[in-house]
Amino acid sequence: MKRILLLRGAELLVFAFLATIPLLVVNPYALGLLTLLAIYGILLIGLDVTVGYLGQVNLAHVAFLGLGAYAAGLAVTKFGLGMGPALLAAMAVGLVLGGLLALPALRLEGPQFALATLSFAALCTTALNELEALTGGAQGLSLSRPPILGHVLTPPLFYWLCMALLALVWMLMRNLLASQWGRAFEALRDSPIATDAMGVGTYQHKVAAFALGSALGGLAGGLYAFNFQYLQPQSFTYDLMIILLLGVVLGGRKSLWGAFVGASVIVLLPNLLSNRLLFQVFSGLGFAGALAAGLRGLVKKTTRPFQALAPGIAMGLLVVGGFFVENTEDWRKAIFAIMLFSVVVGLPEGLMGFLSTFLAKLFRVPHAPLPEPSDIETILPPRAADGSPLLVLEDLKRHFGGVKAVDGLSMIIKSGTIHGLIGPNGSGKSTVVNVISGLYTPTSGRILLRGVPLSSGSLYRVSKSGVARTFQNLQLFGELTTLENVMVALRGVYRSPLPLVLLGLARLEERKAQADALCLLERIGLRDQALIKAKDLTYGAQRFLEVARALARKPDLLILDEPAAGLAHPDVVQLIEIIKRVHKRGISILLIEHHMDVVSELCDIVTVLDGGKVIAEGSPDEVKRHPKVVEAYLGQPTQAENPQPETPRGAEPLPA
Amino acid sequence: MNASIIGQMAVSGALMGLVYALIAYGFQLTYATSKSINFGQGELVMVSAFFSLTLTNLGFSYWFMVPGGLLFGALLGLVVERAGVRLALEQKSEGWILLTIIIGLFFFSAAENIWGRDDRPFPTPISADPIHFLGVDVTRLELAVAVGVLGIMGLIELFKRRTLLGKAFEAVSADRDAAELMGISATRTVMLSYGLSGAVAALAGILVSPITTVGPTMASAIILKAFSVAVVAGLDSGFGVVLIGMFLGALESLSSYYLGSGWREAPGLILLILALAVRPTGVFGKAIIRKV
Repeated sequence: MKRILLLRGAELLVFAFLATIPLLVVNPYALGLLTLLAIYGILLIGLDVTVGYLGQVNLAHVAFLGLGAYAAGLAVTKFGLGMGPALLAAMAVGLVLGGLLALPALRLEGPQFALATLSFAALCTTALNELEALTGGAQGLSLSRPPILGHVLTPPLFYWLCMALLALVWMLMRNLLASQWGRAFEALRDSPIATDAMGVGTYQHKVAAFALGSALGGLAGGLYAFNFQYLQPQSFTYDLMIILLLGVVLGGRKSLWGAFVGASVIVLLPNLLSNRLLFQVFSGLGFAGALAAGLRGLVKKTTRPFQALAPGIAMGLLVVGGFFVENTEDWRKAIFAIMLFSVVVGLPEGLMGFLSTFLAKLFRVPHAPLPEPSDIETILPPRAADGSPLLVLEDLKRHFGGVKAVDGLSMIIKSGTIHGLIGPNGSGKSTVVNVISGLYTPTSGRILLRGVPLSSGSLYRVSKSGVARTFQNLQLFGELTTLENVMVALRGVYRSPLPLVLLGLARLEERKAQADALCLLERIGLRDQALIKAKDLTYGAQRFLEVARALARKPDLLILDEPAAGLAHPDVVQLIEIIKRVHKRGISILLIEHHMDVVSELCDIVTVLDGGKVIAEGSPDEVKRHPKVVEAYLGQPTQAENPQPETPRGAEPLPA
Repeated sequence: MNASIIGQMAVSGALMGLVYALIAYGFQLTYATSKSINFGQGELVMVSAFFSLTLTNLGFSYWFMVPGGLLFGALLGLVVERAGVRLALEQKSEGWILLTIIIGLFFFSAAENIWGRDDRPFPTPISADPIHFLGVDVTRLELAVAVGVLGIMGLIELFKRRTLLGKAFEAVSADRDAAELMGISATRTVMLSYGLSGAVAALAGILVSPITTVGPTMASAIILKAFSVAVVAGLDSGFGVVLIGMFLGALESLSSYYLGSGWREAPGLILLILALAVRPTGVFGKAIIRKV
């Protein structure tokens, strides 16, 4: 309760204050700035979706601002639409074009994505300039605010409209980001592969997120058009884009408040630059702050020397420059650059990121209480294990160029068994797992799940059909909590359509998801660490969390890819216990493992691979004595009499 | 439409395209060692060109000015590496994208204030007289661009193959961790690649300035096309950038003729988005196998 009061109270207070300003102050200039604040607020919330949540540098947002502005402008001037439909048109243009750009662009990562968005933005500027018949080209486009219900909006009324829209966007985004959607956005940034493997669909969510952010850009563009009532292509260029990035980064990524703070900074910047005294005061404060933080970091050794000193040096340059430069306006871009540099290097979490940890400590904001765990019988009802073939591999091959990693593998995993898959290094075990789980497309051969061909080459579709996997190299969502890691993967809980989620009417389902996830965490002994970030867990706990997350898929077949790798002995004992418990619920398991004691204790049947082919199959004891297996691990049997035996292949533990 | 005019436009466009190829080659150098590129490379081209112009105005001869400009470009490249890239690489973050953009913005603003906002001519001893060659006219300036671009690319490739330092460069490109274990300092190799990349950018500026004039915005259009070339060709094929660069140059020269000069950037941009959609690793790039 206290939490709700504090968080919602702060929001209500700020918006109530902003709403009363036009009643108290009659200053057209200040009102103009505040209107801009609302518009930029919406714009930056949209940009934060890609830059913050998806973690991609998006250089096209300014283009969506421009496209939205022109869409609204043209809707009014050429088609005679009212303000409401014009704003909707602006949003639609952002949504559709954003989706169209995202489809190719989001197959890319990092620099290539940034380049694709940069090219799109340049293309838009060209189009706005050159399509003179439509946009008026460099001449610009003039428009006036169409009346709403017979009233022409006066500045205060227009300001209230913008603020109301900002409040609406704020509320809807808060609900969205607190839902499975928001978790998916964060998860796919940490590990796109695991997000797909947990049946969430990395690509779909990325495209949706980008289109959503772009739609907000379009909406802000529409308001921009009605605010200035004059549009020019030159207004929407790379320079403005950099200022927008400054806003998001300085305010703080992944935060609605951050976007708001960033928007305030953007709105106030021109005033800051035109007033020399104000500039010197602010740069001096910035310098002192950067220096203090840097020295503190150096003394406590929490930051690298460069990270500690560079922002101070940069801000120092700003202070010194302020005395020598005649006109700060001329150096506008350099000043932005220095400020941005200092923030990106010294305060990567932004102002709000820094403040929120501080405020959370100050007010001791507690986490919302967690529900009681659900009953395991409802989440993983015991299923019949009849020994019928569950997964059948028929002559499976996967070649990489000339390397035959898997070369004609046939095996049958029976329902209800724990099936071991072992073999020396490079024998093709991991490739088999990656082919079954859909990361790789098989070169040839068939995979049947209960007699039905399994989709190949898509982690997402394989996951949807009831096969879950863990990863040998941990692929947890590090920035999410233990609980959220499991919640992301939960199958069959999230049913509410998007509009309900946006309106915050999906809370019940969210409670249910928490309860279910807690139950699974209880199974692996991590219930009391539910609210810790996954990256802060111990190594052993992270391995167990991989298992719990895969279980949340409620799979028919669970593939464990070397779950005991690197575990200390007590953890191995606990892992065996966990796997036995999972097996008792009737879930079939494919276990890839090197620890022969784990394999011996758990597996009903073991398949041994070498050179991408099956060399032996049988009970753990049988395969251990199988001459081909001994040969694969120890070398030629004849060389046992040789005084200088050949070194064993691979550097793996021998099957003892 | 006269075939000889088409040929003429295609040839001069292609020669101009070699400049894009050269800048794109600079991206490849740093991408090879550090998987990062300088988003402010256009500003490096521009600032180096201004610096070279200043050297010329101070009375240095052309042949003294060129190495001076290259050295200056290399220095700027090192600044970018130190201030914008190293920390982000150490933290394995993509912060370098933002930081190199920011440093570029700073260089831009500094150039605007130091050298002014106007475009200025760039003197050169190479004449602009055309030579008639197989039915098309080629100016000596354009030929100088071709010779300079292919010359420096050849030199750098030789350096990578024949010298010990060059082999260290290749080793870090192939496998950074393994190279470190063999006693090669990856950090210094990345510095070397940024220095080389800066020098290459400076040469691009010096070669293109006599044709386009020097001004703060001289590189803003060029750099977009260099990005296109680098991405379309793939970030690991030197041969690819030359081919795609010439193709794109010819294409834009023809499209500005047919569609109007305002559209001259459009084909490159569309090509880039399409290429990314069809082949994200580039036409000449190697396919990447995802590993877990």
